[in-house]
Order: sequence, then C-alpha cells, then structure tokens
Amino acid sequence: MNVARHEVMSGSDLLLKAEGIQKSYGGVLALHDGRIELCAGTVHALCGGNGAGKSTFLNILMGLEAPDSGRIWLNGSETRFASPASALAAGIAIITQELSPVPDMTVAENIFLGRESRRAGWFVNQTVMRRKAAELLERLNFAVDPRVKMRRLSLGQIQLVEIAKAIDQRSSVLIMDEPTSAIGDKETAVLFDAIRQLKSAGVGIIYVSHRLSELFSIADEYTVFRDGGFVRTGLMKDIDRDELIRLIVGGSLIDQQCAATEPEKATLLEVQGYSRAGEFEDINLSLKSGEIVGLYGLMGAGRSEFASSLYGISRRNRGRLVMDGAEVEINSPGDALKFRIAMITEDRKASGLFLSQSVRKNISLTSLSSLSRRSFINERKEKAVVQRMIERFHIKVRTRDQPVRQLSGGNQQKVLFARSLTTSPRILICDEPTRGIDEGAKREIHAFLAEFAAQGNAVLMISSEVQEILASCNRVVVFRHGRQVAESPVTRITPERLLHWAS
Amino acid sequence: MRLEELATTRSPKPAVTSSLLTRRQILKAGLAVTGLGFVSGCRNQSGKSVHRIAVPLQGMTAEFMQLWVRGAQAHPAIKNGLATFTVFDGRMDALTQANQFDTIITRRYDAIIFIPVDVQAGVGPATQAKAAGIPVIGSNTLLADRSLYVSYIGSESVISGEYVAHGVIDRLGGKGNVVVLEGLIGQSAQVERRQGINKVLARSPNIKVLETKSANWSRAEAQSLMENWLTSHGNTINGVISHNDEMALGAIEAMKARGIDFATHPVGGIDGLTDALEAVKRGEMSTTLQDANAQAQGSIDLALKVLIGPSYKPMSDIWNQYPGQLSWDDGKKTEYLVPWTPVTGENVDRLLAIRRAG
Amino acid sequence: MMSTPTKQMGRAGARSRTLGSLGQLFARYGIVIALGLIVLALSVLSDNFLTSGNLTNVLRQVSINGILAVGMTFVILTGGIDLSIGSVLALTGMVGASLVAGSKPHSPILAILAALAVGVVAGACSGIFIAWVRLPAFVVTLGMLSAVRGLTLIYSQGMPISNLSSGFKFLGQGTFLGIPVSVVLFGATALAAWVVLAYTVYGRRVYAVGGNMRSAHTCGINVRGIIFSVYALMGLLSALAGVTLTARTTAALPQAGVAYELDAIAAVVIGGTSLTGGIGGIPLTVVGVLIIGLLNNGLDLLGISSYYQQVIKGLMIVAAVLIDKARHADAA
Repeated sequence: MNVARHEVMSGSDLLLKAEGIQKSYGGVLALHDGRIELCAGTVHALCGGNGAGKSTFLNILMGLEAPDSGRIWLNGSETRFASPASALAAGIAIITQELSPVPDMTVAENIFLGRESRRAGWFVNQTVMRRKAAELLERLNFAVDPRVKMRRLSLGQIQLVEIAKAIDQRSSVLIMDEPTSAIGDKETAVLFDAIRQLKSAGVGIIYVSHRLSELFSIADEYTVFRDGGFVRTGLMKDIDRDELIRLIVGGSLIDQQCAATEPEKATLLEVQGYSRAGEFEDINLSLKSGEIVGLYGLMGAGRSEFASSLYGISRRNRGRLVMDGAEVEINSPGDALKFRIAMITEDRKASGLFLSQSVRKNISLTSLSSLSRRSFINERKEKAVVQRMIERFHIKVRTRDQPVRQLSGGNQQKVLFARSLTTSPRILICDEPTRGIDEGAKREIHAFLAEFAAQGNAVLMISSEVQEILASCNRVVVFRHGRQVAESPVTRITPERLLHWAS
Repeated sequence: MRLEELATTRSPKPAVTSSLLTRRQILKAGLAVTGLGFVSGCRNQSGKSVHRIAVPLQGMTAEFMQLWVRGAQAHPAIKNGLATFTVFDGRMDALTQANQFDTIITRRYDAIIFIPVDVQAGVGPATQAKAAGIPVIGSNTLLADRSLYVSYIGSESVISGEYVAHGVIDRLGGKGNVVVLEGLIGQSAQVERRQGINKVLARSPNIKVLETKSANWSRAEAQSLMENWLTSHGNTINGVISHNDEMALGAIEAMKARGIDFATHPVGGIDGLTDALEAVKRGEMSTTLQDANAQAQGSIDLALKVLIGPSYKPMSDIWNQYPGQLSWDDGKKTEYLVPWTPVTGENVDRLLAIRRAG
Repeated sequence: MMSTPTKQMGRAGARSRTLGSLGQLFARYGIVIALGLIVLALSVLSDNFLTSGNLTNVLRQVSINGILAVGMTFVILTGGIDLSIGSVLALTGMVGASLVAGSKPHSPILAILAALAVGVVAGACSGIFIAWVRLPAFVVTLGMLSAVRGLTLIYSQGMPISNLSSGFKFLGQGTFLGIPVSVVLFGATALAAWVVLAYTVYGRRVYAVGGNMRSAHTCGINVRGIIFSVYALMGLLSALAGVTLTARTTAALPQAGVAYELDAIAAVVIGGTSLTGGIGGIPLTVVGVLIIGLLNNGLDLLGISSYYQQVIKGLMIVAAVLIDKARHADAA
C-alpha cells in the first residue's frame, strides 16, 4: 500500500517530499512522523501549535539537524542534507523567525553575503552588487535602499531584504517561517505580491504562519502537525477556518471568543502630552478600570516607542502622567513597577526572558523583594508562588527548574505573563502579546487579558493584527507617523476603517 | 606575551630624567612607569654643554635596576651637572626596548648605556645606534655581539652560579642532597647561572640533585614549590641552590614553616637584595652581591671618557674599591669585570649600611 | 500492527533518555569527576599526596587564587571581565605592608582595612567606567591593569617592603583551629559568596544582569548598580588576596601578582561559568581552583617539568569550554 502511494505521488510536479521523519532530543521525542508533499508553483501552509514539531521538521529539511529516521526526496531523488549550505546549494532556502542580518553591512552586501560580485577574483565589486540589488528590489517592488546599512532598517524592511536574498538565490523551494510576524499589513501586502510572483515562476513555498487569515488568502494546500506528528493534508479551498483551528488544537479547546466586559468608569491612568523627539508626539490617552485599549498602527508608527517610554525603558521629552488623580514620575522600569504598571515587551527573547535560567527564576524575578526577608529569598514561598502561576497559565513544563530556553514560544510568552502578574499590577502594557505563538496559547492569553481587566484593572495592548484588536479590545487608539490620529470604541469600527486611519 | 606587557603600550618615550630624580624620589618610579618624563635642557646653569646619556634598561620593577639607577644618580658627574641621563624602562620586553632605541636615535643622545632585555634581541637596536654614530657602552648584561660596544662593564654571571653552588656545597661538606630553583627559562641570567652551578656540581660527586625546576624568579612561586618538595622528599633535602635571592627567600619561608634549621640546611641565592642581606644577617642564607653601584658608576665614567676624550679622568671612587681586581687603566679596555662580593656574617653589616645610606 | 512500532519507540525512547541523562550528568559534573580522577591518580602515584600536611599545603597554595576566582565569578556572571586584579593585589599588598613595616608598625587591623579600602576604590573606578560611562570591561580593566601597576611602583619606588610586624604576618602564616588563616579566609569568602549568589535577591540580580541585560532592565533591576557593585567587590577581594599574599611571602613586592588574572579566569572557566554571563556559580569555581592547585602540587610532587603543567592547564580550559558547549547544545 505504501509503495503504491509513493508511485502515485512522485508525479511530475512534485518538488519535495518527506515522510516518516523522526527526531528526539535528549530522550524526548519532538517529532515522530513528519511528512509533506510540496508541488511546484504552490504555496503550502504548514500548520500546527507550538510543540507540534514544525520547527524541528523545518530544521531537518534545511539540513540544520539530522533526523533519527525518515526519508526526503528532492525532484524525485532521495537526498539528505548534511548542512544548511548543502540544502541551499540544492535549491532550498529558508526565511526564519530569527532574522540574522549583519547590521553594519549595507542591504546590498547582505543580499550577496557569501556570493559577492568579485573584481579580479579578490576584491568585492560594490558597484555591480549595488546595481544588482537595486534591480532585484525594484522588481519585487520592495521599498528598500540597497545602499543603507541594515542597522537603519525596521524589522519589516529587514524581513523584505531576507526575502529578496532568498529569491535571488533562485531556490526552487522556499521555506517561510512566520514571515509576517514582525511586519505590518502594508508590508504584508507587498510580501504577498512577491509570493505570487514566485508561484508563477514555479517555486514551491512552504509557508508557516499563526495568522490563519493569511493562510486563506495566500496558500493553496495545507498540512497540519499536532503533538509531533502528521494529522492531515489537503487543499485550502476544501477547508474552512473553524475546521483548520479544530485540526490544529485537536478539538480540545472550545471556541471561546472572549468579549471583554463593559468598562467601568474609574480612570486608572492618564497620559498627557507625551512626546519623544523623532518617535511620537503629543500623545493623550486614558486607561479606565476594566478596559482593554488597543494601540494600532503600521510598523514605525511609534507605538512600541510610546509604550516603552510609558514604562520607563526610555525617557520622554515632554508629558505628564496622572494616576489616581496625582501626577507621578516614571523614569525607569523600577518606578513603573512601584506604581503597579507591568509590561510585556515586543521581543520576548531580547528584552523579556532569561533563556538559560529556570522557569522559576524567570517568573519570580520582579517580585523577589516580597518573597524575601532581609534580602534572603524564602524559597518555599517562591516555589509556591511560581507553582500557582504555572497552574494559572497552564504553562507546560517538566519541572519548575527547566530552562526557559526549552519551552515553546507560547509557553515562553506565558512565563512573561506569569512574571508580570506576580507584582499584582493594575495596569498591564503588552506589545504584540501573541506574536509567533500558537492558536491555543493565543486564546488563553486573550482570555487572561479579559479576566484581568474584568477584575478592575486595565490593559494597553499593541497589536498589528486587526482581528486581534477588534476581537479583544474595548477601545482602539490609532497611531500614524508618531501621532495619535484616531480613537474609537471597537464596536463602531470595521477593519477597513482601522486600516484607513493607520495608513 | 603576558597581558601586563600588552597593557603598557610600547610608548618609546623617555622615562626618567636625572634632574628630577635627585629632587623628588617619590616621583621617580611613577615617571618610570607612566612614561611622562622629559629631558632637561642641554646646557647647565654655567652654560657649559651637558652630555646627554640615554640608559635603556631591562625594567624598573626589578630591585637590582633600582639600585643601578640609584648608583648612577650618585655619580659625581651627574651631581655636578656635567652630564644628565635618561632612563628608558624596557618593561622586560625586547620589543619595547627596540622601539625606545628609535627615540634615542631620533633625539640624538650623545651616548647610550645599554642594559639589554635580551642578549640576542638587543643586537639589532645596538647596531642601529652604532650606525647612527652614537657610542654604546654596555653594562650588567652582555650583548651577543661584543663588537657593538665601545666598552662593557659588568659581572660575569657564570661565576655567580659557581659562587652560589660553592657556598651551599661547601657548607654541606661536599656531601648531601640539594634542590635547584631556576630562573625564567631562556633568559641569559638563568642560562649562565645554570652553567656555573653545573660546573661546580660536576666536580662534586657526592652531591645529589633531587629536583631542578623553574620558579620564574618569583618569591611566591618558589615558596609553593619548596612546600611541595618538602612534602615529597621530606627531610632528605639538605640544601637549596637558587638562581636568585627572591626565590631563595621564598624557599626560606617554606622551610621556616617546617622548623628546619638553617645552620645545617644551607640556602644560597644570588644578587644581594636588601631582604637577602638581612636574611644573611639572621643566618638563614648566603648570597653573592652583584655591585650595581660599581656597574652604574663605571659605565658613566666609560661613557664620559668616550665623549670628552683622553683628558677625562674617572670621577667615581669605584675604581679604588677592588684593588687588584678592577682598575681604570685609562679607560682603554673593552671589558671591565666587577667582582662579585660573597656576603658573609663579617661584611653584611657594612654592606647593609652602604645600602641604607644609598 | 499498530502496537509494535509504538512499543519499540517507547523502548528506544527510554534508552536514549538514560543515555541523555548520563550525558547531562557528565556535562554537569564532568569537572567534579575530573577533580576526583586527579585526586585518585595523584594518591596512587605519590605516597606523599594524601597526607594532611600536603593537603594543607595545597589549600594554602590555592587560597590566593581562590579568593580572586570567587570575585571573578561575580564579574564573569554579569558578562564582564576584570584584568586588573593582579595589579590591585600588588598595590593593596604594598599599602598594607607599608603600614606594618619598620620599627613603628601600625596595628595590622588598620593596615588590612586600609588595603581593603584601596581595593574597593580601585574596583569602584573600573565599575564607574564600565557601568555608567559604558566602556567595555575588557578595555577599562586593561587600562587599570597598567595604571594600578604604575601606582604600585610609585608608592613603593620599585622596592619591596619587608620586615612586617608579626601580627600582620599571622594572616599568611598563622593558623586558626589548626587550619592556616589564608585557607580560612578563602573558605569563608567562598561560603559567603555562595550564599549570596544562590540565596539572596542580590545574587539573583547578578545572574539576571548577566543572563540578559535588556530583560533585567525591563524587570526594574538597577543594572548599572549591579555592574558597579561586582567590580567594587572584585577590588575588595583582590585586596584581601593582596594582604594575604603579602603576609604569606612576608614581603610586598612591586611585581607581585603579574598574570594572576589569567589563573583566576581559568579557574572560573574550568568551573563552567560562561564567559557571556548568567550561567555558573561558586561551588564549581572552587572545583576549578582546586584542579589548578592540585595540578601544580601533584606535578611538583611527581617531579614533572612545569612545561607539561602549562600544557595540561591549557587543555583543561579548552575541555571545560567544550563541556560547557555540549551542555548548551543539549539544553537547546
């Protein structure tokens, strides 16, 4: 039966095929049945929650890791890649979640890194490289100047450069792992145009994204993994959103779109005239008890910068902050925590977590002073608090002392929520709280935010996803070019209006 | 290369000027290290021309070099302003010293008194100086190529090795077990002192060498090493032969902790450091003194002889200090050897008095 | 049909789990095992090794490097480095010695306090430049290495200071309950440091700053204050090592402590503390210190040339980093 199936599937336009891929780490099985069949000229969505084994599977396809067992065919012949370089040489390119540009090189240099145009065999020919890069970017309709240093680009632009690089390598298979997680809607549209171009050129694309709506607009086929194994594959047009979610989460989570409770009246925090040169100007907004306020805008609109200065990470140039009717000074995160404001930053790995340290130490860090006597930590008390948080957020860990590095993205994000809750905040600022995490964890976090607000607290949530804002916020404030351009209850707006304001 | 040496950037600046030295002792070493020194003017108060002598030496961290500089400062010609000298601190690094030679040549010093960090590596810079027409006088450490010198004054290292070995072996009556503490392997002092020691050992069939190891000239290292040897050989070690006083003093600390009697267990060192002289006085060791004062003052006389000509008469009284062993001979010889002074119970008080007076 | 592969997989999983945990055990305690092997080998090869006298010697010989390595552990845990400790050790030893030398010595307590104060000031200077001016620790302490050595030479005029009062020498030569005072100092320092790092809020913050500086800032930690404090502490411990060394050799030497920073860093690295910060601790640093000390002692006892000693130490450092790397690969 297996043999017959194989013969059928190794048809003319089958580009890449993998089956029975298995991999375990330190005795823990991460993937027990990885499969995919990718045809030329299609976009194939690879779906699954965190811990479903997608990343492991992609790492094996790319030659980053060796599978314990399983077989891979490329263009009909069986292969196994010993390194990313050999996968790249065979025509498989990847655009990962973790972008790794060389910040002090120009865009052109990054695109041609390792494949530089040479002059006399030894010297890099900058002129040719710059011209080729400019042509490439123009063809793809990416608004990036090839002469600027990578350091100057926004996250979204860096993403576009990475994509341009992969495209220029003339790969027949392109793997995109969360390509839109860091970019705004406008840039997403540019990206999708590029993907359609690639499709028509016969490239096969494996597309991984937690944004389901994207999948329905760009993908042709889907493959779902769950708990380290293959679940189902099929055509995108034969499945609807609810069915796909059911496959991903395994039906364990019932649809619980959590409409936040109606806000009460008491104002917890009032921002007056906040400004920071070159980033945002004259921001006025208030957070009321029981409210979730969404902060929407395109990349570079100054949302994250505003939130950072509100929390004291960066200084403001002007502006006042009033809490409970009295003016307060917040000049450092320590001050913010004192006034019971907590924040979950945009990039959990760079500015949130301590990856090599345990879940316990990550969760308890901000509340140590209340867990200690004469600066000695009361470990019994600490463990109790941590345990309560692990249970409260359903964080999946082997032990409390497991390093955070080993957790999936969703669970890492939950660790941050757990930490912020240990200081009993009244105001929670979260910047893209559900970026790059699976559907299940996303729902749990939304449910938590609703509950948190319902207890009389307030949430300021930055998100690039229109759906997320509309589904979970009471009110939305829109930023454009560092200015506050609109404010409205979500009940009165449509996604189109929101986009219109933002761009 | 050690970080220490990396850190002190190889600035070829002059380190100390004698005029400063005589006034403010405290400033002396400070300037030596920070390299802030400057050269005083080329004429003294009476308007006569002043002879400028550059002294590139091994490193100001060594006590012997301090004593050398102190001796040079006390030279009558320096005191009365006939000549000035500028110390270039080689920081025990041959490259630093080579760079300092560039400065010396550019600034056209009248003469160079050279104490090379390394006997081989010093040849290049000295050749350059000679080619530039600056006379080079050697002191303390002999260069591999003697033809570069106008003249040299120093003490023979090999002989000091013989002295220290004799000192210990004679006390043992030519019979017993000894350990040897060696200097930093590869340095000329270590190589030559070893030669001298081995010469004596070859003539002493009843002396058994239990251990030979380097403690890198360091008191702390020698102390640990001796503790370990005392553990592995117990009371069978009868004597200690050390390439320098620092290491001998370290060994003495280790032996004291074991309650070893120095009357029956001789320890010998080389150099005649102040601490060692005091240890000799306490009957803990023997040492041979290398006369830094004679080497320094003698080299200045030799330099002035070259600069002023046959009419110059030596101003230092060191030439009368070793009758029959060291004499001026009109400054015509190319090599002057300052005898070593074995330090004994009889002369130690006198030597200490001289040291303290300096 | 279905059950067979599942069972096989289960068995394979169990086996690789055992192997994995063995590997983890080795990665975690490899250096302790290495220490055990060294002790075993030396006791077989040398009759004198396992004597109380010799073991006391070893402890006394490692106490200076031990005190320095404890301080260096704090510095490296924050992701920093301090190259100036050998110079600070020399300066503080010299300051202490100058107060207890000669015919009218001051009280040894005063001398020690003065030395410790000088050490803290030196460390604080580095700390200010690293934490607030934000210069790289490597560069700042490289500068301090040179400047402080210079100050030592200015202060001492390049001459050693000896004839120290017996009260002061007690630090290096005396015993407390039969244990050499220098060993007691090392033990007390290591114990206190271990408690601070493992059980106090300050300790957690040190790890946090080294683990991820930006995250630590986000968590409201006074990152600069923590960084400043570890260099001041390093200065204090360098001074403690300085006075102990001076008392042990009964003289303060201007060239004391040259290249001591390298042995301290080596001990910390052999003990598995990551040079990028955030991972490591005092107990394994102590193991690292002991390994270096035992190698020196054992090879002396066996009459093996010191040349081999240096080669072996070098290999140990590289091996320690390899183990560290393996551990992280396993964790990822």
